[in-house]
Amino acid sequence: MTQAEIKLCSLLLQEHFGEIVEKIGVHLIRTGSQPLRVIAHDTGTSLDQVKKALCVLIQHNLVIYQVHKRGVVEYEAQCSRVLRMLRYPRYIYTAKTLYSDTGELIVEELLLNGKMAMSAVVKKVADRLTETMEDGKTMDYAEVSNTFVRLADTHFVQRCPLVPATENSDPGPPPPAPTLVINEKDMYLVPKLSLIGKGKRRRSSDEDATGEPKAKRPKHTTDNKEPIPDDGIYWQANLDRFHQHFRDQGIVSAVANRMDQVISKWVGQWLSGIFTYLQMWPLAYSQSQHSRVNSEFQFIFQTQTSSEIVRTMLRMSEITTSSSAPFTQPLSSNEIFRSLPVGYNISKQVLDQYLTLLADDPLEFVGKSGDSGGGMYVINLHKALGSLATATLESVVQERFGSRCARIFRLVLQKKHLEQKQVEDFAMIPAKEAKDMLYKMLSENFISLQEIPKTPDHAPSRTFYLYTVNILSAARMLLHRCYKSVANLIERRQFETKENKRLLEKSQRVEAIIASMQATGAEEAQLQEIEEMITAPERQQLETLKRNVNKLDACEIQVDETIFLLESYIESTVKRQ
Amino acid sequence: MAGNKGRGRAAYTFNIEAVGFSRGEKLPDVVLKPPPLFPDTDYKPVPLKTGEGEDYVLALKQELRETVKRMPYFVETHEEKQDIERYSKRYMKVYKEEWIPDWRRLPRELMPRKKCKKGPKSEKAKDTGKGTSLTNTADVLKKIEELEKRGDGEKSDEENEEKEGSKEKSKEGDDDEDDNAAEQEEYDEEEQEEENDYINSYFEDGDDFGADSDDNMDEATY
Repeated sequence: MTQAEIKLCSLLLQEHFGEIVEKIGVHLIRTGSQPLRVIAHDTGTSLDQVKKALCVLIQHNLVIYQVHKRGVVEYEAQCSRVLRMLRYPRYIYTAKTLYSDTGELIVEELLLNGKMAMSAVVKKVADRLTETMEDGKTMDYAEVSNTFVRLADTHFVQRCPLVPATENSDPGPPPPAPTLVINEKDMYLVPKLSLIGKGKRRRSSDEDATGEPKAKRPKHTTDNKEPIPDDGIYWQANLDRFHQHFRDQGIVSAVANRMDQVISKWVGQWLSGIFTYLQMWPLAYSQSQHSRVNSEFQFIFQTQTSSEIVRTMLRMSEITTSSSAPFTQPLSSNEIFRSLPVGYNISKQVLDQYLTLLADDPLEFVGKSGDSGGGMYVINLHKALGSLATATLESVVQERFGSRCARIFRLVLQKKHLEQKQVEDFAMIPAKEAKDMLYKMLSENFISLQEIPKTPDHAPSRTFYLYTVNILSAARMLLHRCYKSVANLIERRQFETKENKRLLEKSQRVEAIIASMQATGAEEAQLQEIEEMITAPERQQLETLKRNVNKLDACEIQVDETIFLLESYIESTVKRQ
Repeated sequence: MAGNKGRGRAAYTFNIEAVGFSRGEKLPDVVLKPPPLFPDTDYKPVPLKTGEGEDYVLALKQELRETVKRMPYFVETHEEKQDIERYSKRYMKVYKEEWIPDWRRLPRELMPRKKCKKGPKSEKAKDTGKGTSLTNTADVLKKIEELEKRGDGEKSDEENEEKEGSKEKSKEGDDDEDDNAAEQEEYDEEEQEEENDYINSYFEDGDDFGADSDDNMDEATY
């Protein structure tokens, strides 16, 4: 783990779990797998605190344990999982867009608690939703359960590995740590609970089906307190599935930006006069138009088609393709036609035209793998990720060094290897400036030099020096910088907050006083007086602080999007066995 | 291997033009210190994305930051005693839910041990300890008598200390054996007891206990 990653992990752990857990977590990330007593000794913390910290970390899937020989249990931290904590808001927001508020709260509870039993999740979410609803209305458990089942069916939540249910009959002492197992097939199997109840009040007994191979046998009591029927079955959020979703989103928007812009420019050239006129019309299909305008307007309205087609193809391959596959399963054009969203009325020929267009595009997002069924098409996932990473690199070079540097960069990218002289010629940039730019990019490691010796003694006068872009290493370098950036952003935000701590506390107190006075019914004059406790310059300071903190937070979120892209690309290049 | 260096004049072994500058040209100064901490950039950064989605994610992030501080997983560090006890501190303490992990899923060594506790359970442990220590003390006394017979006072003191050490160790050994049958309530007790040093079971008389000040001793207490 690089220093930048460790620093970022340390900041994230500290924000989420406090200093003690942070100390233990960072120690484990730095030193690898260690037993309990060694951790306590090396970090100088008491054994109790180490135990507590480890319990918290294991609960949140940040640390795993393994039993080694002679009964020693060793704990290992998962650095990459710790870095995912930065992305929690994005996961929750995605759940909201897909499954609305119920889904959002379910995923939020699972992320905040690490792992939870289904019944516990349902109860908590129902309570929270009931609180936000109007008086008298309550949230039914059944609705929350349905959303949970849908999340499990689409693999957004998965079961945690289970303690083996069979009691081993050997008379020796129980093992120092359980070995958790999970069956692939059971990972998304929802236990058949009939949770009857509404938010805030939980009634009726809960039943359990008998067909679950790994479920613990529940006690059939009608007691309200214990035990919960799905005891021992815990659920966690499936981050890989979310990542798959983000990747699909990225690909669809890339296709939309590229293809749909091309097509709308194309159409715009035809109807240069009418184009601006049409832009004033609402998107809804208006009946009272001239028929010619109608047909062209329909064409413009459906310029989102190419991205829609790609989205359909990705949706069809969601469950069938594993997240690390280089391309999706081949889909025939007929299947795609049938799976297009309802209300999308393009004819089969138009669909075929679009597919051919997509397959011929130099970006190679979509490839044609056969001719049966009207043409078999696949989406090249790895290539798509590579293109996205390359686009990120290009954009970084452009924003950092200017558009002429970006031109050189794109040139070298395209031609793979170029000599100094050739760069100057192809880019049409004067020699001195071209040299300057190349060396600047070289010093920042966006571009690298490739030596090709003419003679075995590598004499400099008889060696070719070629400039080249190694995308993978440039991506790794950029990723490392992103980690550093996020760590800097978090540090700065914490610094800003600490600087103004006194002022923040004062404003919180004033707000609390105002709230309590309003509740007890106070006059306007009194409230005014209390509000004036915060002077105008202080108010200004608070405004500035709020704006800065918001900006820093937004930066973190957006850098995290870049981190995701680069990490996905790098992961896709790692060969799997 | 030095060989001729062009008779005292410097001569490059390769075509200097290839590097990019000619001989005798003014080159930029050698950099003698690390680059500045906050360098000036020629190009300002692109503005952030804005939109409804971005605003919502931002709000989520800030809320999450506040929420995690209130969860039971946030382990507070024990603050040292402040010089002035603030009255408001007592009333601003955030109530945190207890969290009890599922011990079936965790290694046994992570469960808290009995001997670290203070409170009724520890009294029980102490009692059993006392029992064993009594027997141990009996052994020790016997040993001391034996040694006194041998007549070396200092030696017996040392042996006494050794015996004390072994007594402690054997007491711990007993506690360890007891621990194998640890239950969940122990963890609860330890959680609740960490706040202060008082044993919860003692003061059950209510608020009036000890509320009377001792200053007014001239008044009779009824």
